[in-house]
Amino acid sequence: MIATRRIDPDHRLRIAVPKGALFADCVSMLSSAGLDVTGLADPGRTLIVRTSDAEFIISKPTDIPVYVAYGAADCGIGGKDVLVEAGLEVVELVDLLFGACHFVVAEPEDAAAAISERARHLGVVRVATKYPNIAQAHFDARGIQVELVKLNGNIELAPLIGIADVVVDITATGTTLRENRLRIVEDVLPSTARFVGNPASVRIDPRVTELADRMAALVKQSLHVVDASAPGVAAEAGSTQQTPLRTGKDPVQS
Amino acid sequence: MTGRNRTHEYQGVISNMRPVTARGFRDVLPAEAAEREALVARIGEAFSAWGYGLVETPVVERLDTLEAAVGPLEGVAFRLIDLDGRVLALRPDMTVPIARLAASRLYGEPGPHRFRYAAEVFREHESLRGQSRQFTQVGVEFIGAAGPAADAEMIAVMVEGLRAAGLSSFSVVVGTVAVLAAIVDAAEMPPAWGAQVLSAAHDRNLVELDRLAEEPGVRPEAARALRAVPRVRGGREAVAACREAASACGCGEALDELDATLALLAAAGVADSVAVDFSVMRSFEYYTGLVAEAYAPGLGVPLGGGGRYDGVLGAFGAPAPAAGFALGLERISIALLEQGAQPVARSLDAVLGGAPEVALVAAQELRAAGWRVALSSHEGLALLAEADRLDAAEALLARGGLIVRLDRAGEPALPLSRPVPAPPASTWKAGGQS
Repeated sequence: MIATRRIDPDHRLRIAVPKGALFADCVSMLSSAGLDVTGLADPGRTLIVRTSDAEFIISKPTDIPVYVAYGAADCGIGGKDVLVEAGLEVVELVDLLFGACHFVVAEPEDAAAAISERARHLGVVRVATKYPNIAQAHFDARGIQVELVKLNGNIELAPLIGIADVVVDITATGTTLRENRLRIVEDVLPSTARFVGNPASVRIDPRVTELADRMAALVKQSLHVVDASAPGVAAEAGSTQQTPLRTGKDPVQS
Repeated sequence: MTGRNRTHEYQGVISNMRPVTARGFRDVLPAEAAEREALVARIGEAFSAWGYGLVETPVVERLDTLEAAVGPLEGVAFRLIDLDGRVLALRPDMTVPIARLAASRLYGEPGPHRFRYAAEVFREHESLRGQSRQFTQVGVEFIGAAGPAADAEMIAVMVEGLRAAGLSSFSVVVGTVAVLAAIVDAAEMPPAWGAQVLSAAHDRNLVELDRLAEEPGVRPEAARALRAVPRVRGGREAVAACREAASACGCGEALDELDATLALLAAAGVADSVAVDFSVMRSFEYYTGLVAEAYAPGLGVPLGGGGRYDGVLGAFGAPAPAAGFALGLERISIALLEQGAQPVARSLDAVLGGAPEVALVAAQELRAAGWRVALSSHEGLALLAEADRLDAAEALLARGGLIVRLDRAGEPALPLSRPVPAPPASTWKAGGQS
């Protein structure tokens, strides 16, 4: 599938922004990076917000990689969790460090013995998740045979109602899991928000890489303020390496 | 589980089920087919003008042959098992089949060989990704030549092909995989680290490359280069920028070659269409040097790409340098449509009514004069309507010894002069260029 985009006469950069938990951080990041975000902070029911230099597409987080990979958006911000699960071709440009959470395997606090008993008799572990690709890859890598069931929300319910033995889900603080009497048994993958670009836009639209460089600089700055040597955080979180952008004649024929 | 039973149930309910194509495959009807035919012809002529000869290879190859050259094709190639129990594959690209051809049919013959093709290729894709599983690729392979002259020829032919397609705006972006390979060597890290770097580069994951550069033990000059090089882009001056960023990593020769290639492209008059970008990595892993991708503005995927693959023929026991590229016909069609430059195809010049014995003779006369004519059993307004439906330029009626035009009311008007004139002009309106 290839998105068709009539070429906008004003040629605004099209940026996909996830609604939900990451939204506020995204807006302030885009604003700090020097973009006009008028109307974006409080868009009401509008899904497309046009400002002087960009067209923001307010998207469901899981659709961000789809929009960006197929070229409906030039770039966007998406959680690493969503990007990995989608497995689509986008260019990961900057780790924005906000929206930090972890993929974990969790099971009912009192269930460890019951699960291994079940696995001994039936040979499989039943896993509920919103992220079947990540979950499958994780258990494959460990040589554990599982039956995956994809659910679309409230994953923590699954063991309580008996549809699964364990869950693979994301968690920031672990509170929801604890409240449902689930305990984390494995850490699968850490996740943060990433600035991603469409592979073609990254190659032929210098504004995408310029925006990436500005965001990388902001991330680096904020690290210096907090703690430059914080462990677990890529010290060179983004590149501030000045790269020669196109000079002279534009190589795109016109 | 219950899939099979459910299918049976559906088939019971939907008794008059219409036949469908397999997911990701489709039919092409005359209007589109005419445009595609014209595009293939124009691009093929551009390749021919550089001396590339048309070849055809089987749609099916032995899987072990393909995998010998490119590694595992699980999840990429359609696989079949024949009655001998041998595993075959539908070709996922044309580069490897043509390399096989060169290594077998042309073994020992002096090169270089210049081949072009226009062929269907097949790739597996997961469902619900909206992806076709059959594409048409037009491309060339230049086997038995190396160095900047060969690299430049390949890029120049790519640009000429895109120009011939009628694209008014496009860009060919070139890089070389040799630089990244040199950086990996210079890092003096275990092979697993190098594999991670290449994998991140293939995934275009700059965040992961930065992280890998930070790993303990990476030599500082390699770490610096790894962070900087994938972000270097621009015109010819980008080669100098890359050289500065990766000077200590021993990739000078690759950069000299790239620089020489760019100089030749300027001489060939195509430099305006070419940019440099050191993050270009192709998804097939057989590339060894120059790599290129073509883009059109507003299209989120490359129009095509290619590069130098000096190791592939060696895998077939006939080592030779080689380079080539493929353009996606469907993607070019989309870009042309976006640019309002698709070839306007008319496949029919006239519909011809009249008594069959008269019409057959008249049609022969028209065809001899270059007309494309469809016979019709209609007359009057029905004949006009048929001309409209078939997008024919003229509605004609054979009557007596005359070929008569119909007016807007469907009445016979003026007869064609004798000898019959040429068909209405501009059967092909060129988009983009004349």
